[in-house]
Amino acid sequence: MLAITKCRDGGGRVRLMAYGLLVLAGILGSGRSEPVMAKEAKDLSDQRVDIFYENATFHRDHTGLSKFRNTLQMEVDKKLGRIGSFDNLNFHARLRGSWDGAFQMNDDKFGDRAGGAITLEDTSGVFPGGAAHGAGIPLFNSGGVGGPTNPNQGLVVLGSHLHPADGGVTFGVPVRPCNVDSRGCIKDYMDASRSELESPEFNDRLDFIREIDVSGLIPLGGGRNLFIKVGKQQVVWGRTDLFRVLDVINPVDFSRHNIYDELQDIRIPMWIAQAEYRMGASDTFDDLNLQFVWNFDKFRPHNLGQGGSPYQILDAASFFRGMKNCWDNGCTVSNFVPGALIGAPNPAGFAPAIFGPNQIGIRQAHLPSWSLGNTQFGVKLEGQKGGVGFSLNALSYRSQLPSLRGGITSVNPFMGTSAVWPHALAFDIHFPRVNLIGGSLDLQADAIKSVFRVEAALTEGEEFPNTLRPELFSKSKVFRYVVGWDRPTFIPFLNKNRAFLISGQLFGQHLLDYEYSDGPLGPRGIPDWENNHILTLLIKGWYQNDRLSPQVIMAHDVRAEATTIAPSVEWLVTDNLKLTLGANVKVGDGARKFDDNRSAMPYTNPFGIPNPSVSQGLGGFEPIGRFRAGPIGMAQKEDEIQLTLRYKF
Amino acid sequence: MKQIALKSLVAAVAVLPWLSYAATEADVDNAFYPYKSGVPVHPAIKPGMVINKGNVASAKDALDPAMFQHIQDGWLEIAVGPTTSFDPSKNYVEATKKNLGKVKLGAKLGELTGYVAGRPFPEEPDSKDSRAGEKLAWNFKYFFNYGDNGSIGPFYWSFRDLNTGKVERRINFNFSFLNYKHRVTDAPTPDLAPNPSQFYRGIYAKVLEPLDIKDTQLLIHRFEDDSKRDEAYLYLGFQRRVRRLSTSQTSDAFLGTDLMIEDFEGYNGRISDQEWAYKGTANILAPYFNHDQQQLSNEFQESDGYRFLDVTGKGGCFPKATYQLRKSYVLEGKPLEPGHPVSRRVYYIDSQTFTIFRVMIYDKKGDLWKSFTVGKAHADHHLPQNKGSGAPLDDFFSMVDVQAKHCTTGQFKVRIGPKEAPVNLFTTQTMRGTS
Repeated sequence: MLAITKCRDGGGRVRLMAYGLLVLAGILGSGRSEPVMAKEAKDLSDQRVDIFYENATFHRDHTGLSKFRNTLQMEVDKKLGRIGSFDNLNFHARLRGSWDGAFQMNDDKFGDRAGGAITLEDTSGVFPGGAAHGAGIPLFNSGGVGGPTNPNQGLVVLGSHLHPADGGVTFGVPVRPCNVDSRGCIKDYMDASRSELESPEFNDRLDFIREIDVSGLIPLGGGRNLFIKVGKQQVVWGRTDLFRVLDVINPVDFSRHNIYDELQDIRIPMWIAQAEYRMGASDTFDDLNLQFVWNFDKFRPHNLGQGGSPYQILDAASFFRGMKNCWDNGCTVSNFVPGALIGAPNPAGFAPAIFGPNQIGIRQAHLPSWSLGNTQFGVKLEGQKGGVGFSLNALSYRSQLPSLRGGITSVNPFMGTSAVWPHALAFDIHFPRVNLIGGSLDLQADAIKSVFRVEAALTEGEEFPNTLRPELFSKSKVFRYVVGWDRPTFIPFLNKNRAFLISGQLFGQHLLDYEYSDGPLGPRGIPDWENNHILTLLIKGWYQNDRLSPQVIMAHDVRAEATTIAPSVEWLVTDNLKLTLGANVKVGDGARKFDDNRSAMPYTNPFGIPNPSVSQGLGGFEPIGRFRAGPIGMAQKEDEIQLTLRYKF
Repeated sequence: MKQIALKSLVAAVAVLPWLSYAATEADVDNAFYPYKSGVPVHPAIKPGMVINKGNVASAKDALDPAMFQHIQDGWLEIAVGPTTSFDPSKNYVEATKKNLGKVKLGAKLGELTGYVAGRPFPEEPDSKDSRAGEKLAWNFKYFFNYGDNGSIGPFYWSFRDLNTGKVERRINFNFSFLNYKHRVTDAPTPDLAPNPSQFYRGIYAKVLEPLDIKDTQLLIHRFEDDSKRDEAYLYLGFQRRVRRLSTSQTSDAFLGTDLMIEDFEGYNGRISDQEWAYKGTANILAPYFNHDQQQLSNEFQESDGYRFLDVTGKGGCFPKATYQLRKSYVLEGKPLEPGHPVSRRVYYIDSQTFTIFRVMIYDKKGDLWKSFTVGKAHADHHLPQNKGSGAPLDDFFSMVDVQAKHCTTGQFKVRIGPKEAPVNLFTTQTMRGTS
């Protein structure tokens, strides 16, 4: 029986409630497309309600429609005035609901009919033309693979949109929404039904309430104040665009549009309390503030997308889903068994192997439950002195990126015995605690009409895949930094009245506990680069009194040798209607290879191969070459034309 | 070489009397109360009349050349009102008297010593004084602008097609202004402390609409030291982040309007950014009026009943207000930066308030590029809280790009008072917290 569940539409009640709230909010806001007049005639911003509709239609080369997202968003701001000790209390709410039609309109790519039967590469010649999912060299208890619970349907070969197997390991990834095909879905982490993919705000975390908070100022005398803000909110640290060094308090929803949407639209708001002691000016500082941030919400990781969904950073969600299916139901893995070991026609090649359940893959995700110990806390000292803005930051938080930790009990595919097998490809997902210290500054350089922004952070506790370790992961301190340069620049032959904004950034990442060595068959260790840089460049211009604004954003990953170029033109047809036409084009090398741990021997085995033994470095594109290719390289085949319409009611 | 040195010496000797001229209290009274003995008269201009293209020739000497041309071209007609005294804040006058004879120009353009508060150079400008223009520029910099603290809100900026009158875009701001130094009315005077970087003035602005730039905030700190460039910070609503701005490009169009940042309030740059020349004194028709006696707009509704000054003329690019004959100084400023898109600006400054009410801006070729008008309302005929403040209130501005046939107009609701601009508003942390 195919493990396809009934439509698990547990969010239906949530959606109904959310739609009701939106309608109610719309009624409250009706007739208020202009700012609502203040009762005290003091300030038009005493209360205002803004509602807008947005349609984002993206077309991907060779894929078709990748986004047809329709969003209704309402923003409410109200000044509550002086209440208790608060001099000025404010209420802010932002509600958002969306429906993305791409999952139905392009359902053979992203919906109920996505994927199909697959064939996995065989370089040994045992299975000429490759082995179907379910075929291959059988190992212990692998008979069910390809059968009713794990049929060769609704699958794609991991990474096949980006690269050939090229002698490396690959396996099938179920790509239909989890209500249609539950294979590979990871409970409470990557298990979205089609309706949840279509309307991601309507979930158990009530994400349609994107932000709701109350803030206010308590005067302390002597020019000092205490600022309090409590609610579901975004707390933004740092001074950089696109990539985050200090701006790590809120997790990010990469499923919306990978790394390319404005961060305010993809940060996942959390229930946070912040208190800020604003000391004002002193004899030394022009301004000084001490901020405490307590993220008391239940932990949430980044949303990396889901196997089969159109936007996944690093294509990681497909990797996870394929691995989870391998653990639950078994799977065929391409090019795994040495041809020489089985007398294959090509002894130098590798034959596909069928692993049974609980042998390799991802067993489960350990999402931290709510407890006081699992909450997250940060402190920031920010100020200005002598024309320099600065901050010192410290944060203790949970990694929002998953760590695949080996060292779990799994089944020996040769013997059928269960144990913790060093170097075995059997993982649980964890989100380790990370401690960060860092700082930032900005300053103006008059002589070159520029502003410089600098940010740096050192983290302790991050975990990385590491094929040299028995648990296949290790911790490393990481130093990240960014230097940003902004310069308004006149380019008279393009526009004599309006300066272009030219903004460049250099991001650097250095792994302090990097492990890497050359094995007999290739490199092994941590697949990430020990040192890497990403360069970004923004050039933005304005015409027709800023109603027409062309821009181009470029980002280049130096070690991955991958570049993305995103030109766009924004046209304000009226104050209430904006059209944006853009493209996102990638150039570069795309996927990259690294050790796939195939050449390790975790298990007691009938071949006389010593165990446990570490990987010899035999590698391919999958599964962890993605960490070398980076987010730009892994999206090389996602060139798009993008049209966005936004209308304010 | 000797010849050059001799010429310099002769020039220095010639200038010396003006550098050291000691203004008297009589100069102060004449400066601040120019109409106590009578108002300006003109043979062809009488209160109640309308000047239009049919009769503008007779008023040519009471109009700047650009305004004369606008009327002659039929772009607008102006109604003439009686000349009224915009009596200044008594504290500002007292501070001027207290500071008499203590203020001196430095050796270099942009240097000033001995200034505490009030008008730095209350004496009449003299055409023989080669630095008279510079003194006028200093007087403008330190005029009683928004008192010690003030705000504008709502502040509607409209982008208009001069030919069709179509409003293409409208931005609604809140602005606040704070004087860190040279305060005369609201405690503490004359300076706020501590002020380690010696800021002179703070300007804070927040966009309320339209949606695409909603919550954008701008903070500018101006230093007392004229040689230092402003510090500026921008909070972009869609980025949720405060960004440092380079203030070196003051000739950039501000948010797509027809104004450069340098154009705000008539002139918003450093004294040292321009070469100044005093061009004379004349009685000019200027848009100074009592707000409550104008035909006001019904376009924007305020629950306290306040109505904004209306627009009129071609494209709706001019203030619908009465003009009055006022004693005015003509000042020319030439940008010193070689690549500046402006070749020169001609300012018309009201002698009583030292506010700029007209500016003609010429492009690199020397052709008229933009025509700027600021309408000033009397504080005693405005919101009750402004009464008696002695601050000349901005009520309307219009920047007409005569080459592009486009304009930006601004309609104000101004409030003067210490609560309008608390010092903690002028911090980047407030920008982060208020959005």
